[in-house]
Amino acid sequence: MSEKLRESLSALMDDEANELELERLLANAAGDEELRRAWTRYNLARSALGGTPVAHTDIDISAQVRDAIGGRSPGSGSDQRWGQRLRRPLASFAVAASVAATVVIGGQQLAQLGPDAGYEGESAVATSASPVGMLNSLGATAVPASYGTKAVPVLQPATSTAYRQLARQKMSRYMQEHAQHAALNSPQGLIPFARVPEIRE
Amino acid sequence: MRRRYLAKLAAIAALGALPVGIASAEVSCDGGDARAFAWLDKMASSMHETSYHGVATLQRRDDMQVIQVSHMVAGGASSERLTQLTGQGARVDRHAHPLGCKHPGQMLLKAGSRLSGGDCGIADHYRFSIDGNERVAGRAAVRIRIRPLDVYRYGYQLALDRETGLLLKTVTYGHGDKVLEKFQYANLSLGDSLPGTADVEVVHRAQHPHPDSSSLDAPVRRAWSVRWLPRGFTATDSPQAVSGRRSYTDGLAVFSVFMEELERGLRPGEGVVRDGGTTSYTRGMSLDGQPVLVTVIGEVPVNTARMVADSVNWEQ
Repeated sequence: MSEKLRESLSALMDDEANELELERLLANAAGDEELRRAWTRYNLARSALGGTPVAHTDIDISAQVRDAIGGRSPGSGSDQRWGQRLRRPLASFAVAASVAATVVIGGQQLAQLGPDAGYEGESAVATSASPVGMLNSLGATAVPASYGTKAVPVLQPATSTAYRQLARQKMSRYMQEHAQHAALNSPQGLIPFARVPEIRE
Repeated sequence: MRRRYLAKLAAIAALGALPVGIASAEVSCDGGDARAFAWLDKMASSMHETSYHGVATLQRRDDMQVIQVSHMVAGGASSERLTQLTGQGARVDRHAHPLGCKHPGQMLLKAGSRLSGGDCGIADHYRFSIDGNERVAGRAAVRIRIRPLDVYRYGYQLALDRETGLLLKTVTYGHGDKVLEKFQYANLSLGDSLPGTADVEVVHRAQHPHPDSSSLDAPVRRAWSVRWLPRGFTATDSPQAVSGRRSYTDGLAVFSVFMEELERGLRPGEGVVRDGGTTSYTRGMSLDGQPVLVTVIGEVPVNTARMVADSVNWEQ
């Protein structure tokens, strides 16, 4: 994956990609294994962040999205593509882009990704007696005792909230250590310590 | 990608050695106004060699902190003190920091001014321009605008004291020029007379991480590495491979990566919180069957943190 593609992917994940960048990503997705894997991982992580359930699908959506954006059939010439793009309503790009960002590499890989792909499978969570309690063991969130033995009906939002709390907790824990290095390597002297939530001795 | 990383490692192995362009003579740096670099250079020296103290504010969204800052130079060493006048009321001291002790971030910032040598340094990643004049803390200041050249870092506006080059104000801009954080002095005095001391609750003596040392409060059992960094970022020190932390800088921004091994697996996912210009990004995942939590904390956009966390893996 080239740096250019990586940057486009980054922009897409931040919902800041322009049409050309999306086009570039889609055009390269088919032939670039590394790009596809990175895209999958980011979406996987992002779906947990947003709390949106990911549709399970086995079709290669990236090609479809590319066609929807280009308003063309695969293999058509670029002249025609540009002509059609000029006539196409702006909204279709936004819609297609959001589809690309959230769904393209969503469902099927989520299902396929076993532990060897770098993630715990979905089933590991579903069968766990206490998914929230598990996060709680990290100190992420205060959970009523009754949660400990109950299956939690909606896992995704619970996880997303817990992760946000985890990020907050980690910030409290690590900010001072980060500030030590920021203070020596950025032009503001000790000011990075002013960002530490609670300074410890 | 891997080769790039190894090359970078080699370059920083001797901490202090900057990666220098090879075909330097033909390279033209497009990083902006040479006058801006001259000011940056002045700032880089004055921040270490000048004695000053003052009161400054740090604004982040609705929150404003007031802090007292002092920087004293004597006998070839500097002593710094930061006292919170609001909030927790803590104090941070750094004593006897030798003036000759340079850290990678400072050197990267300096490199930006070496345009004539053909080394673009930080000018490869930001565009610098002079952006008018301003008055900060009752002093005449020159404004420097720093725009990022890619999506991996924030933009800044600095106001530097015309007389000394001291950094009087920093505004951090996110995407779309949204102000994330504003730091500025309300007053500033030059010279060695110490300000009155404020009541403090906690005193922290800032550590000075030696390039070879490592704070092993939570060592990791296996050696791990960060395999992707945005262009221009360099390690701030050389922690052991099993240290739980790595820190990187491009001269203006700094971020740190923390690795924790978990006893039990947790559902893969990510969480983000942001305070002003600081992002805390936590990612739960499994590496080689070992559940881990990777946290990236620093003054970088969320997606930079995400991509860095994504590249973390065990050393093979």
